[in-house]
Amino acid sequence: MKRNKWVYLSVLLLTTVLVMGFATFCMAAGDASAPVEAPRGMPPAFGNLYVIGWTAVNFFILLAILYKFAYNPINNMMEQRTNSIESNLRHAEEVRTEVEQMRKEAQTNLSESRKEAQDIVAKSTKAAENVKNEMIAKANEEAASIKNKAHAEIVAATEQAKMELRDSAVTLAIIAAERVLSRAITSDDHKKMVREFIDEAGDLLC
Amino acid sequence: MIFAMWDEVMFYLGPIPVDHIIVTEWLVIVFIGVIAYLATRNMQIVPRGLQNLFESLVIWTYDFFSQVIEKENAARKWAPLLSTFFIFILVCNLSGLIPGAAHIGGFQPPTSNWNVTMTLALITFFAVHVSGIMENKLHYFAHFISPSPLMLPLNLVEEVARPLSLTIRLFGNIFGKEVVLGFLLFLAPFFLPAIFLALAVLLSVIQAVVFTMLSASYIGASTSGGH
Repeated sequence: MKRNKWVYLSVLLLTTVLVMGFATFCMAAGDASAPVEAPRGMPPAFGNLYVIGWTAVNFFILLAILYKFAYNPINNMMEQRTNSIESNLRHAEEVRTEVEQMRKEAQTNLSESRKEAQDIVAKSTKAAENVKNEMIAKANEEAASIKNKAHAEIVAATEQAKMELRDSAVTLAIIAAERVLSRAITSDDHKKMVREFIDEAGDLLC
Repeated sequence: MIFAMWDEVMFYLGPIPVDHIIVTEWLVIVFIGVIAYLATRNMQIVPRGLQNLFESLVIWTYDFFSQVIEKENAARKWAPLLSTFFIFILVCNLSGLIPGAAHIGGFQPPTSNWNVTMTLALITFFAVHVSGIMENKLHYFAHFISPSPLMLPLNLVEEVARPLSLTIRLFGNIFGKEVVLGFLLFLAPFFLPAIFLALAVLLSVIQAVVFTMLSASYIGASTSGGH
């Protein structure tokens, strides 16, 4: 409903010109008073120029009033409402696009996070595996070392025991020999006997 | 009695006589103006109350005439005039149903006078030709000799017949309604007129719609060029 004053003014002008022309024609015909005063109790006379003129003026006054208080405010409100709705739709579209973008970003982030988590898990698993292998290797080494050490200690202890046993055997042999022979043995006999005894005892013990 | 003050001068405004019917027109204009003012003084984005009612009326008339007038810009241009026709004629028609109409001085239903309906028809007549010339320029006059120059007299008769038919249709219906209501009230003051009052309301609305719809179709035909 665009403002189009000139169009309506032209229609008003044409109507007024026609009415005035018709009035002039009637007055020239000498019957000017007839349309104004109709007899009481009769239907309205056709061609009452004053009524026609007044009605035309009144109608266009009403049109102007409605333009001022109805059409223009309603038109403005409609435009405002249209703008508001368009703005809201635009905003909704922007928000939708933004949300879509955020959703995509979140999706990407989630995928990246999943990938990173998988990498971390893989790395951790690998590290743990390495640590485990290292620990097993170290434990094996330590076990081997302990075993070797223990073996060496056993061997040393065995040797020690053998030595101690030889010494004891020598002492016992000497005491026994002294008792059996009850005589003094020379140093050379002594040594010879000991050596023989040791050899025999050593053969028996080992 | 019902014809008593139909065409009488109520007072003179300087040298110009003012009929009772003109005073009623002023009252109708004031009534419509006040309603319009109250409806639109504090417009809200979400309409309610009187604003909703008035907006609906204006938008409904605009949509209605947009369907009749094919060209969108022409519909936008002439919708206010047609809406004003509708609102004015409707209120004028219904004013005859108010108790005291045609009995109280200065209160005569305007559309029951054919001078008033003729004025409205004349405005339509000029609006049709102005809209035709505005939309089609000088090609508009070609429709007078369409489809053949031999049809010129008939086309001219049609041009005159249109406002005449608009005048007499509206006047005849409303005048008839007033007369019948008057006689019914005279013959049977209770109950019987109530039935006819409902019909009178319907008739008033229908006549307002018919007048504006025909005006819209005439303007639509002249603007589309297919007169």
